[in-house]
Amino acid sequence: MALTKESIEAEIKAKVVEIAAQTGDDASELELDDIIPATGLIDSTGLLELIAWYEKHYEIALAQEEINIDNLGTLTRMAEFVLRKKS
Amino acid sequence: MATPIYVPRINNNDDEVKVLAFDVGVGDKLQSGQIVGQIETDKAVLDVTAPSEGYVLGFVAKAEEVVKVGSVMLWLGESKDEAVPEIQDAAAGQSASKVSQVTAKARILLEQNGLQAELIPQVDGRVTVEAVERYLATKGGAKVEAKLSAVSQVLDVLPEVEGNQVNLTREEKGMAATVAWHRDFAVPGYIEIDYDLAPWAEYAKRFQDEKGLLMPPLLPLMAWRLVELARETQRLNATFVGNKRFEYAPVNLGFTIQAGESLYLAVVRQSQALDEFGFVNSLGDVLRRAAGHNLRESEASGATIAFSSMERWKVKRHIPILSPHTSLMVAHAAGQDGRGVLGASYDHRVLNGGQVVAALKKLSSPKKS
Repeated sequence: MALTKESIEAEIKAKVVEIAAQTGDDASELELDDIIPATGLIDSTGLLELIAWYEKHYEIALAQEEINIDNLGTLTRMAEFVLRKKS
Repeated sequence: MATPIYVPRINNNDDEVKVLAFDVGVGDKLQSGQIVGQIETDKAVLDVTAPSEGYVLGFVAKAEEVVKVGSVMLWLGESKDEAVPEIQDAAAGQSASKVSQVTAKARILLEQNGLQAELIPQVDGRVTVEAVERYLATKGGAKVEAKLSAVSQVLDVLPEVEGNQVNLTREEKGMAATVAWHRDFAVPGYIEIDYDLAPWAEYAKRFQDEKGLLMPPLLPLMAWRLVELARETQRLNATFVGNKRFEYAPVNLGFTIQAGESLYLAVVRQSQALDEFGFVNSLGDVLRRAAGHNLRESEASGATIAFSSMERWKVKRHIPILSPHTSLMVAHAAGQDGRGVLGASYDHRVLNGGQVVAALKKLSSPKKS
């Protein structure tokens, strides 16, 4: 199945919800444009887990300088970044 | 020559144990490691095993008898026909008393080096690991680094309650080895200070905004401060080997990270050669690989100093286990009402409390530029 922005956003959100649940937080109301680190729903270790999953799941290798708010700060930005890397 | 099998120590508080039963008889041929019988204290039952192969010559202890730790339980011989050495009651008592002054760890080190306790000059009337190491050092010290983890093998017994033994994963084995070093070698202490969270929080926020970082850099920045302190104070970046302090040349910063069920100590080697931003990026790379269970070999070992946080679990304080061959592991935890607790486990052979407090005070706020 072809990746779409919407399907990627949904997959990433599901992963964020899963990670947040590890520390007892509910991320089900996370919006597409919420700055994920600023929500406090997942901490730095959770973010690391999210990024590690993101690289593996979408088969993209990230350089450290690419791991920033502009590229990966929100669900939408993460989805768009996958599509850019794949294009 | 006849070889004694001594009554082993089950725990430090029991100088006497009860012999439950023998599983072998006089004349039996035993293999090394074969179970010869069981002893018990109030807390545990332990299988006693043969240290080498041989024939059972005779028993000194009896089933159901309470005996002294370190006394002779039975004798093994190279042939069935060897005579059982005669032990006079008084002499036996003296022997037991003498042997019981050998610590459990020292006994294992003696066994690993094929030494008799009588050869070792005592320290304060006891044969300790330190005394054995000193003796070995005078003989060239070739075997000084003999591992003491066998202690756990000697003392491990299956519980009475029914259950299953499960093989450990590679990571679990690594963690077991790490905590065994803390127990067997380090002389651990723990100290903590209270500190104001605001200066670090403000500094980290500013740093994150300036660099456009996705990851909150607070903990990497604190770890970097620890690297700086290790550069300034060599003693913080050291360990203890063979009665000497071993001062490391590089600062290899270990950082604990929980990835799923695995706990890693991810290592940034040669941290002292980096600058602040370079370190934050390097640590980010290493931690990301740890989170994906893809740590490289060089990133999973070799820490010379370490940093641990349990903030994500909302833990207010924790006492970390020292990683092998480190003398300082800083413990970061969740704050409350603007205040936090910054602690450290340390090896008292290398550092004293005052030195650790001085380091923690410096670590409790960003470096003043």
